[in-house]
Amino acid sequence: MESNIGEILRYLRVRGETPEILREQVEITARELEESLEPSYVYRAFPLTLGADGVMLTGSGVTLTGGLARKMLQHCDTAVLLCCTLGIEFERRLRALERRDMGKAVILDACGSAWVESGCDAAEAEIAARFPGRYITDRFSPGYGDLPLSLQPAVLSALDAQRRLGIHLSESFLMTPSKSVTAVIGVSDTPQPARVRGCGYCAMRNTCDYRKGGTSCAV
Amino acid sequence: MPSKTLDFSKIVILDGAMGTVLQSRGLKPGGVPELLNLEQPELLRGVYRDYIAAGSDVIYANTFGANALKLARTGKSVAEIVTAAIALAKEAAAGTNVKVALDVGPLGELLEPMGTLPFERAYELFREMVLAGVAAGADLAVVETMTDLYETKAALLAVKENSDLPVLVTMSFEESGRTFTGCTVASMAHTLTGLGADAIGLNCSLGPDKLAPLLRELCEHTPLPVIAKPNAGLPDPVDGHYDMDARSFADILAPMADAGVSVFGGCCGTSPDYVRAVAERLEGRAPAKRTPKRESFVCTPVRPLPITGIRVIGERINPTGKKRFQQALLENDMDYILDLAVQQEDAGADILDVNVGYPGVDEVEMLPRVVKALQGTVPLPLMLDSSNAQALEAALRVCNGKAAVNSVNGDREVMDRILPLIQKYGASVVGLCLDKNGVPQTAEQRFAIAKRILDAALSCGIPREDVWIDCLTLTVSAQQEQARQTLKALRMVREELGLQTVLGVSNISFGLPNRALVTRTFLIEAMHAGLTLPILNPNLTELMDAVAAFRVLSGEDESCRAYVERFADYEPPKAANVVSSVKKDKPAQSAASGAAPASSGDALDDAVIRGLKTEAAALAAELLKTETELSLVDGHLIPALDQVGEGYETGRVFLPQLLSAAQAAQAVFEVIRTRLAERGGESVKRGRLLVATVRGDVHDIGKNIVKTVLENYGYDVVDLGRDVPPEAVVKAVREQGIGLVGLSALMTTTLAAMEETVTLLRQLPDPPKTFVGGAVVTPEYAQRIGADYYAKDAKASVEIAREVFGQ
Repeated sequence: MESNIGEILRYLRVRGETPEILREQVEITARELEESLEPSYVYRAFPLTLGADGVMLTGSGVTLTGGLARKMLQHCDTAVLLCCTLGIEFERRLRALERRDMGKAVILDACGSAWVESGCDAAEAEIAARFPGRYITDRFSPGYGDLPLSLQPAVLSALDAQRRLGIHLSESFLMTPSKSVTAVIGVSDTPQPARVRGCGYCAMRNTCDYRKGGTSCAV
Repeated sequence: MPSKTLDFSKIVILDGAMGTVLQSRGLKPGGVPELLNLEQPELLRGVYRDYIAAGSDVIYANTFGANALKLARTGKSVAEIVTAAIALAKEAAAGTNVKVALDVGPLGELLEPMGTLPFERAYELFREMVLAGVAAGADLAVVETMTDLYETKAALLAVKENSDLPVLVTMSFEESGRTFTGCTVASMAHTLTGLGADAIGLNCSLGPDKLAPLLRELCEHTPLPVIAKPNAGLPDPVDGHYDMDARSFADILAPMADAGVSVFGGCCGTSPDYVRAVAERLEGRAPAKRTPKRESFVCTPVRPLPITGIRVIGERINPTGKKRFQQALLENDMDYILDLAVQQEDAGADILDVNVGYPGVDEVEMLPRVVKALQGTVPLPLMLDSSNAQALEAALRVCNGKAAVNSVNGDREVMDRILPLIQKYGASVVGLCLDKNGVPQTAEQRFAIAKRILDAALSCGIPREDVWIDCLTLTVSAQQEQARQTLKALRMVREELGLQTVLGVSNISFGLPNRALVTRTFLIEAMHAGLTLPILNPNLTELMDAVAAFRVLSGEDESCRAYVERFADYEPPKAANVVSSVKKDKPAQSAASGAAPASSGDALDDAVIRGLKTEAAALAAELLKTETELSLVDGHLIPALDQVGEGYETGRVFLPQLLSAAQAAQAVFEVIRTRLAERGGESVKRGRLLVATVRGDVHDIGKNIVKTVLENYGYDVVDLGRDVPPEAVVKAVREQGIGLVGLSALMTTTLAAMEETVTLLRQLPDPPKTFVGGAVVTPEYAQRIGADYYAKDAKASVEIAREVFGQ
């Protein structure tokens, strides 16, 4: 498992030619993080039914509202809820660095964002392996498209994420530790072509610097 | 009352899971288990009866989450739920010897500094539960499943101060040996033992197999009875079922009695069957004899520090004789103090002395405030340095971990005032070898005072290893024979009493040329005589070099590893007057490269542009010999920053480089501020503005970036932090004469709080200018909510500040 350096540079808003010395520092920071801090994750599978209110995950207390979840899970019988985090240790390191060198701190922050995504990728691969002969959808998260952030309390509660990962949620649905991700992955008997990546689904599409510049972040 | 004790001379059997059993008997996912106390009493009576039948000596009432935060949405009060829960448990236990515990779990919100819940509020929430539990007739209290030592301390204090109930405390650890918040087993053990828990242990998170090594470690670190309440193995990731059956659970858990565990139960995934199996295995067993280590120890949750060698106490957080520090205290400049802490940590300090006593400063308010700020920034244990008992108590209360207190002396009245605080909060204490009559002239007299202090501490219930003795350094140029007396007394205290010894070494050389040499020689002699806790300035490399060398010779530095690492880049001095090895900044990134600078002015510009903090500060100090502060700022600093800023605008320089340059500039500003403070002048600032991340937003790196850059253009930035309510912004603006307010919001869910803040600010009679920014903020949105400016990034905020305050 390793971080996506290109993604980190995008988080740092580096456009055009990357100065070699900056790239080198990003690589060193990413490597140190990879070697010293393992993302933790938990997930659970729930049978699903499509109801009038949305997609209900039986036994979880979660109903995924909105068109995105319905579209993503339309051919699925099971949904896996996932939560992945770098934990409080990452916050501690980031704060320690912020006080010493803000420049290095923003690099670490970007590396953390990429590293927790790598953790999700690893979890996703593990989940796929638990359903041999079946197909999984792209993972998607509260806050994507019309899947509301207000689902966070129910998702975290279904995963018992406070007790099992130490995740805390603010009233405005922000997670602490900050490098934490919740996601939904559908499981189906048929291949799953739908993709959630791209500007059309992104909550940042109206404010994104890349789009203003006529390009995209290529996620 | 006889019922308010627990008999730990026998093995005690607790209960098993509540949540798991309730779910298996019909609790809906997402439901609030505590409501069942009112809605389905029969269900709970059944669970209690089953545990009692299985052999539990103690049952936990169903009050785990019965705090006001978690109950807020249920419409039920803490008292209602707790009263009902305990009444049901007592009914089930009637006619047996089984005790009913008030069960206190985590509040569900993260405490400061990582979260936003203040320690004092946590204490109040726990207190409410405890009072309800006492009124309802609980026999004991259990604090369990904690992952934050700070929250655990709040709960334990709440029980101890509001009841006479015995209290068991268990925390949840990961396989790494730490909790989610990073707390170590040793830190937990020493902190909770010191605070007066009746038994401590581990519950939840892991099965008995994975918990075993951690339980062994815990047994070594506490004389208290040790509790094990593990899960039934690990949950299946797909369906959530735990993988260990009752028999295997008991087979693995029961042998932990040999390691010293004497209180047993089960957590998630267990049931009455598990408890029965464990009780059967342990039938007729007595607790094992234990020989826990008796070691001197201080800690923060993340940094356990046994005093098993030389431990350096950094002395820099002290305003005595330091004008710049005094100014920082009077101006509430916490950043200055935190920077001193960080520097000392980086220089190798193990403990930080914290002294904020200065005329005009309210220590009772300031000491706890500084302690809170420090423990949010550095992991080092603290030594609270004050003679004000009220200030000490206020600081001990909010200290996270086990602190030391500096100091008491042989004066009975002083000991009577301070020692009970040491005992209550489980701290270590420094005893100075002096009394009302002053500093005795002979080693024997100082030793006698040391002994008097030790005896007083012991009779107060303070363990001997928590008593540290300071034999006092006097200035050798004034009282030359006293240096020998100090060393002699030190040796006696160490050899005859076996206590840890503290000594501030710097005073020895006062009034002499080449002070460093005398100080270092004295330090080495003192360590040789048995000094374990030198108080010194760790930024003085030659002193830390001596400590490093001593640790090699004493064998503390195994295989000379730390020494070799320290001097890995060492080159023997070529000239006679070369300063010992100082690590130089490595260039983070070079923002602009060019030919070698022609003058020290150009060199300063270059160092700032390249983000070299140490070099920039040194060059600034050099330049100030010939230039004024103002010409340095306007002639070098600002142009250099502008050059970096322009590179940033045009896409040649990126954010990390911009920030490194800004921080190099900050180092230069600090040199200027120190010079001005020494001359007694006011601090020079270009204008005072305020930054905050709005209510609900707990992530603040964006705001911190803006702050860093603005400060380094010389603006006085008041930072209110994150999750700041609109009213708090308005209050600060009114009280501190703020002309410009910057607000940051990261999430669409917190934009409303931004609007509310701006609206409130605009209603002020003399409203400040406002600028807003953050990931989700747009220029249109800024305009719509009535903000004066939209800042697309940190550089833009500088342009705004320039416009508002003028150049």
